[in-house]
Amino acid sequence: MAANAGNKIRNAKLVLLGDVGTGKSSLVLRFVKGQFVEFQESTIGAAFFSQTLAVNDETVKFEIWDTAGQERYHSLAPMYYRGAAAAIVVYDITNAASFTRAKKWVQELQAQGNPNTIMALAGNKADLLEARQVPAEEAKTYAQENGLFFMETSAKAATNVNDVFHEIAKRLLEGQQAQDTQAGMVLNQRPAERMVSSSSCCS
Amino acid sequence: MGFHPPPSRAALEPFATLDPAALAGLPASSPLTVRSAALSAQYLYLGTGGGKLLLFTLDTPSPTFLRILPIGPTRPVSAILPLPSVARVLILADGLLLLADPLLSRPVRRLGSLRNVAAVAARAPDASDLTSCSLAVSVGKKLLLVDLTLHEADELEVQTRDISLVDGVKALAWAGDAVFVGTASGYSLFTTTSQAQGVEIFTLPESSRPPRVKPLSGGEEVMLLVDNVGVVVDRSGHPVGSSFVFNSAPECIAEVFPYIVVAGDSKVDVYRRRNGAHLQTIPHAKAGPGVLIVASNDTRTGGELVVIATAYKVFCYHKVLAVEQIKALLRRKSYGEAISLLQEFEADGEISKDMISFVHAQLGFLMFFDLRFEDAVNHFLLSETMQPAEIFPFIMRDPNHWSDLVPRKRYWGLHAPPKPLEEVIDDGLVTLQQALFLKKAGVDTVVDEDFLSNPPSRADLLELAIRNIIRYLCSCREKSLSSPEMEGVDTLLMYLYRALHLVDDMEKLASCQNSCIVEELESLLDDSGHLRTLAFLYGSKGMCSKALGIWRILARNYSTGLWKDRASLSETDSPESSVDKMSGEEIAAIEASKILQASSDQDLVLEHLGWVADIDPELGAAILTSEMRGKQLSPEKVVAAIDPEKVGIHQRYLQWLIEEQGCDEPHYHTSYALSLAKSAMDVVHSESKYGDKIKKEFDSDVQLIFLLRERLQLFLQASDLYDPEEVLDVISESDLWLEKAILYRKMGQENIVLQILALKLEDSEAAEQYCAEIGRDDAYIQLLDLYLDPKNGKGPMFTAAVRLLHNHGESLDPLQVLERLSADMPLQLASDTILRMLRARVHHHRQGQIVHNLSRSTNLDARLTRLEERSRHVQLTDESICDSCRARLGTKLFVMYPDDSVVCYRCYRNQGDSASGRGHNFRKGGIFKQCWLVSR
Repeated sequence: MAANAGNKIRNAKLVLLGDVGTGKSSLVLRFVKGQFVEFQESTIGAAFFSQTLAVNDETVKFEIWDTAGQERYHSLAPMYYRGAAAAIVVYDITNAASFTRAKKWVQELQAQGNPNTIMALAGNKADLLEARQVPAEEAKTYAQENGLFFMETSAKAATNVNDVFHEIAKRLLEGQQAQDTQAGMVLNQRPAERMVSSSSCCS
Repeated sequence: MGFHPPPSRAALEPFATLDPAALAGLPASSPLTVRSAALSAQYLYLGTGGGKLLLFTLDTPSPTFLRILPIGPTRPVSAILPLPSVARVLILADGLLLLADPLLSRPVRRLGSLRNVAAVAARAPDASDLTSCSLAVSVGKKLLLVDLTLHEADELEVQTRDISLVDGVKALAWAGDAVFVGTASGYSLFTTTSQAQGVEIFTLPESSRPPRVKPLSGGEEVMLLVDNVGVVVDRSGHPVGSSFVFNSAPECIAEVFPYIVVAGDSKVDVYRRRNGAHLQTIPHAKAGPGVLIVASNDTRTGGELVVIATAYKVFCYHKVLAVEQIKALLRRKSYGEAISLLQEFEADGEISKDMISFVHAQLGFLMFFDLRFEDAVNHFLLSETMQPAEIFPFIMRDPNHWSDLVPRKRYWGLHAPPKPLEEVIDDGLVTLQQALFLKKAGVDTVVDEDFLSNPPSRADLLELAIRNIIRYLCSCREKSLSSPEMEGVDTLLMYLYRALHLVDDMEKLASCQNSCIVEELESLLDDSGHLRTLAFLYGSKGMCSKALGIWRILARNYSTGLWKDRASLSETDSPESSVDKMSGEEIAAIEASKILQASSDQDLVLEHLGWVADIDPELGAAILTSEMRGKQLSPEKVVAAIDPEKVGIHQRYLQWLIEEQGCDEPHYHTSYALSLAKSAMDVVHSESKYGDKIKKEFDSDVQLIFLLRERLQLFLQASDLYDPEEVLDVISESDLWLEKAILYRKMGQENIVLQILALKLEDSEAAEQYCAEIGRDDAYIQLLDLYLDPKNGKGPMFTAAVRLLHNHGESLDPLQVLERLSADMPLQLASDTILRMLRARVHHHRQGQIVHNLSRSTNLDARLTRLEERSRHVQLTDESICDSCRARLGTKLFVMYPDDSVVCYRCYRNQGDSASGRGHNFRKGGIFKQCWLVSR
């Protein structure tokens, strides 16, 4: 499991997937350094970043793998999404093909990846509204059907970028808590008196 | 990853070029083609296409040929693996594995009977394991593990087992317990500890180059190549860090920490291991067939050497030391690059902390001489080994007080020895002029572009330099320095503040804890008129007398308007000038008083008391009554020294002496009382003199009189040590009756006191109170006498007399009272009073009787209750036990306490009456029962 329970800082492996030129690197650059480069070079292999994010009183340290979108490096992707706690599948709202490709990534993750991976669908380049080819509704419906959370983002205008990561961090911690409460269910099976004493001490 | 800075560094430096054939003395007719190369410590092994092994040593100034070992003309050597832990060299030639001794002194032997070996990899030896070695060998479809163990007499034990079945292995590498396998389709991982199926890491894209794997960091990580991308994974195959993106698809990879050296496409590139940054390109014309080969010596033992082998030539490189690389950049004045290089080396841990500090100091000096003072000081501050004394020569010309303190550090000889700032700037400006001239002539210079486009003025530069040195010295003050250094820092800091006329900073430094050397600054500050600073400095150094002298002069100059600086400043805002002057004078007094308050030097204090008190009497009083000094002043001297005109200070001092210090010398008590009395008299007099004052002033005078008299009265009442007669002499003529009453009281003149109270002040309440204090009945009679016959022509004060009789009549003897009553007393007044008096007596008597009877009743009740308590019945059973010793009572004699505890007689004798069997102590806390309440 990528996110360790118990520690104040939770490490979480996060991978960005998506077609070439959808803006994965730009999203990461915006999130990690708060920068935007108009002509971002195409990623080769994969780039690694880490960034911590505080959610309430807990801290999530994202280990971000920004993968190459080029089809040639597709075979490397499983190495990066293996064991990931979260994945952001990115498409370009001005490019319908990239949305189709994103759906394929989702399918691949569902088939190959860890079922507990939190998946986000990000429609990037939301600042280019006039060139939109993928309606937000369509993506939203798709995301709902597939249990992803969806946001339209713009690395250039810095819209929703931090929100995506923040939402992932929140869900990671919630997932952690859900597991904690599941562990709590075991307690309930113990004798009643033990339960009383434990509940009174924790209240 | 994207952008890399253009490769401009010389991370590797050539030191030799080797022509193997020529060195080995082979005729030109039989050329060698190098196919493989390996380094082990200082030995270089070369394998040729013609089945020869050559050994060279690289540790002498020039490489030396050692030996040639033919292994068979049809066996081109495709790989050489030195195995130092088993004292062998493994050779892969024509699909056979051969073993040679490290010095190639004996013929090669075959390792097992393996044929068609596709790839072989040796495990990086454990530091602890010096006699064995593991190999992974790919033969046909099998992946084998071969363990070699060295026994005595150079005997080698060989054990072989299968790891797994893999087809088409092209490349192998070890990392920990794992063997990384590269096939045409992709990379996978096999663990040698369990015979598990391999784990696929990733597949290779179509039509990609053959796989290559390279262990890094001594087998901690492995680099897997896809095209020109190097993916680094850890021992379990998980990716680590961003991918390396090489300029060309590598043919051969070597690691020499902190670099990765990659050969391919007729050049060799050097990359930084940590971040994949491209540092250097070494072009090599591909000579003839074959590929470029790079090999480095063992990374674990701190490899230094890299060889690049082409078919016919071998080029030897060694790592350029971090320090040398930086030095080269500094020589070219490429400061920015030098700094980023320094940061990189720092991050890699390639450079020691001391060296980092050294480089920062060196950078600082270079920049300083280039007039980039701010950057220079920033670097000085980053250097932990830099001593403040190193920059003293910039500030003060040699020889000076600290000349011996300046360390003779050599640095890299890139800058001139430090000299006074002015000279540095003058020389720098000359260089700048020359550079401008050269630039116009089209010659490139290394001078800062900013300076060229916007030449600075000398004055600006000087100020900038001084401000930055000040910044440096200020931060030095926070370090722990030796005391001569500290003295230098503080003194020169003051010197620089003065140069920029930073009066506030000068005064702040002078007044705080500092190590300035006064002798160095005295005349300077005096000459430049920084007297306040000098005074502060004297003060902080404990040279009180000098400091006070200056404050006195300053105070005088302020008051006569001679003080120039501030006066000239304040001309612009004239309304505030007088306020400014006043406050300046006061500041001098306040500062002087601060020194005086802490000083135990009596003469000094008394010498300066006068002028300070002239400016502010409050300060004068504060000086005298200060408790900060170690040794108190002698009251005698102080009282003698106080200006008789300054009554306030005198009084404050005496008050402090008596009230705070608890002085009980009658002499001072008397003087204090006298002084207060005189002041009161003065005020009362002046008030009565100027009867026509306006209302407001009059009010404040009344207030003043009230306060003064209150103080006087309180003191007269509280102290028993003064001489009342002397005080009385002062006020005898005045109307200070209450004071007089107090004094007479002290003298025991009851009658006069009563007279004053009753007749002068007509305060019958106070008079009666006084009688009560005397406590004798005849006092009341005396008072009654006074009321009835006041004398001095006053008529009898019957009302007061009646009041007295009413209040205290019952305690007076009626006969005596009647005797005193004069015949003139009107009957209706007297009869009423007498009647009341007599009635009161009867009433008093009856009241007494009632109280007496009530008490008797209570007494009876109590006795009854006691009786009841005592006649209580107690039932004892067989189980009844003594509350104290826990013994059965049986038929024993027992005792019961009021708290119902029952004890045997013996325990009672032991315990007594006061403590019950249950431990209740009747002496400490009584016992009370509800039923005992007197209800009747």
